Order: sequence, then C-alpha cells, then structure tokens
Amino acid sequence: MNKATTVWPLSLRIAHWLNAALVIGALGLGAFMVLAVHNAATRFELTQTHKSIGVSVLVLTVLRLCLRSVMRAPKPEPAARSLAMIAKAVHAGLYILLLLLPLSGWLMVTITPVRVPTVVFGLFELPYPLAPDIARFHLAHAAHIVLAVALTALVVLHVAAALVHAWVWRDRTLARMWLRAG
Amino acid sequence: MFDVPQACSGIEAHLGDRFVRPPAFYGMIMDRSTVARRLGVFCLSVFLCCVEAQAATPAQGWRIDEAQTSIGFTIDAVGFPTTHGHFAHYRGRLLIDFDRPAKSYTTFTVDAASVDVGSASFNDFVKSSVLLDVERFPTMSFASTQVEKVDAHTARVTGNLTLLGVTKPITLTVDVATDPAAKGRTVAFVAKGRIQRSDFGMMFGIPLIDDALEITVKTRALSDE
Repeated sequence: MNKATTVWPLSLRIAHWLNAALVIGALGLGAFMVLAVHNAATRFELTQTHKSIGVSVLVLTVLRLCLRSVMRAPKPEPAARSLAMIAKAVHAGLYILLLLLPLSGWLMVTITPVRVPTVVFGLFELPYPLAPDIARFHLAHAAHIVLAVALTALVVLHVAAALVHAWVWRDRTLARMWLRAG
Repeated sequence: MFDVPQACSGIEAHLGDRFVRPPAFYGMIMDRSTVARRLGVFCLSVFLCCVEAQAATPAQGWRIDEAQTSIGFTIDAVGFPTTHGHFAHYRGRLLIDFDRPAKSYTTFTVDAASVDVGSASFNDFVKSSVLLDVERFPTMSFASTQVEKVDAHTARVTGNLTLLGVTKPITLTVDVATDPAAKGRTVAFVAKGRIQRSDFGMMFGIPLIDDALEITVKTRALSDE
C-alpha cells in the first residue's frame, strides 16, 4: 500500500493533537476548579479560562469534522471486525461528546441566573441566546457533568487503544496520526 | 494637594457637636479616602486638639488605625465558594459618647469602584451593571439614625444604607472593645449586619447567589494622648 494514503493529512493531525490538548485541559481544569478550588476569586478566574477553552474545543471539533468530510481519511489498519466496529463507535462517541460537552456548557452559562459574560480568551463575547431558567440550568449542569465523565472514559479508552496498537499489535495506527508521521 | 474644604467640613461638624456636649464626651473623627486627605485631617485634628487643650476641654483626640480598619462583606452562593470582599476607599466619621450612647453618630461613604474580591476580572464583574453598577452609582453610604447600648461591650446601631441609589434602614450590631493594656487609649469596633440585597434592587443571581449578605466593618481608634 502506498504510504501517503495511510497517513492522516497534516491539517487533521494538527487539529487532532490540538483538540486533544484543549479537551484534556478543559476536563482537567473543570474537575480541578470544582473539586479543589475553594477561593472565590480563583474559581471565578479559572471558570473564565475553562469557558474559553470549551469554546475553542467546540470550534475546533466543527472544523475537524468539516476538514474530514472534504479530506480523505486513511483506511483503518487491518483488525478483527468486532474491534473495528468498537473503534468506529468510540470515534463517533468522541466526536459527539466533543460537540455536546461544550454545547451543554454554553447552555449552562446561558440559562443560569448567574449570567457571567464569556469573553473567549478576551477576544469576543459568546452570545447568550436563551433566557435564564433555573430548573433547566440544573438539568444542563447535571448533563455537563455526566457528559464530562463519559468523555473522560472515552478518552481513556481511546488512549489505551492507541497504545495497544503501537506497543502490542505494533501496527501504524498511532504512527500515522503522529505529527511527524510519514 | 490636600482636599482641605472637604476635610474641614468634617472637622467643623465634629467641633460643633463637641462644643454642645458635656466634658465627658469623647469625640472621634475618622476621615479617609486618600493619603493626602488623611494626612490633612490628621494634621488639622492635632492642631484642633492643641486649641482645645488650651481651652481646658478634657476631650481626647482620636485617630483611626488604618491597619486595623476594613469595610468588608461576605456572600454565599450555590456551587461556588463564599465570596469575601472589601472596599479600599471610603470616608468615615464616628462620634462616640460613652456616657450617652444615644448621642453617638456615624457616617460612612464608600467608593463602590474600590471593591476588591480578590482578582482583577472578578472585581470588574462585581463592578459591572448587574451588581454594584459603579458607573451609575459610584458611592454607597451609611448614616446612623439611632445608637442603643445593649450591654457594656455591645451597641446596636440603626441607620440608613444607600446602595444602588436606594435608601433603606439597616441595623448593625457593634462590639466595642477597649484594650486594658493600652489603658483606654485604643477602642476597637466590629460592626456586623445582614442585609437583603433585593431590598436595594440588586437581584442578580438570586437564588443561586444568596439574597442575604453579611457586612463587617472593623475599625480601631487610637488616642493621641
């Protein structure tokens, strides 16, 4: 097989690793600020940063999906049919959660009675299209936590699978996503 | 330089009070907003105390211990740590009559934009139109209307609080402590009160952010003698 077609396009590789860094940052920061920060000012500052990272995850995920639809993704490495299906489901789940988690956060900050403007990295203000609604806010908050836990689980699974591909099965699955692939 | 006219008005009012009071009256004046103004007031106070000493009035001159003075508040919220804040700039006056507590009087004017809740962006948010709205309402103030002695160490001060342009009565409980080691030369005050911010039209975040907030004003006065 021609090597060039087995490697992810550079733009998608960059987007993948950038998205990985941002989403792990947002998940880690979100958990840290809620569980470990008991100073109001620090919590406020970290929440603003968390929201900015979340918006960039949403934008980047949409961009990745657009890029993927116009660029050719390499064929998966040969694997058992059941594993290939699980891989496909996990990848789909990752994309869905990468969209839903920031969207649930946006919903939260829009409908909370404590409406604090989201100025993404100090550049532009996120619109808040819905009116505050405390009952729905509690639902959105619960959804945000459930989605965050689910995304964390899928990220762990995704990383574990990548490492199994690289170290146990010794195929090119991880190598072809590596920034210096090919 | 010194904002003398403003500083003088405080002194004059204070002097006016003092002359009609019995000799046992301990007049106190606290005036603060800028270092220059404080210095000006301090110098005037010392000067006036000297004048009074010549007039054989046994009133003491007092000054505020700035290191021991703070105007603070705390407010709780659901799913968010308790917010502690204070105001850095204010002007206050305190006239205390230990023998006739009801004759005591205090006013404070606070620069709303000097609020400090611990970080620059949090400060900016608290100053914004949804909370303190400092552009429309640059100051908040308190003026006592009634002072009652509760016991030897406690007073109850009722007065009008003006916040967001709305004036409503509030009640503060004031602990008064004299330091025996200092032989009556220092008096510490800790005034605490609870207000419902909705009374003043500050509705933001209710009920996730509490309607009630705790105000704590601490100050210590030192005798110059």
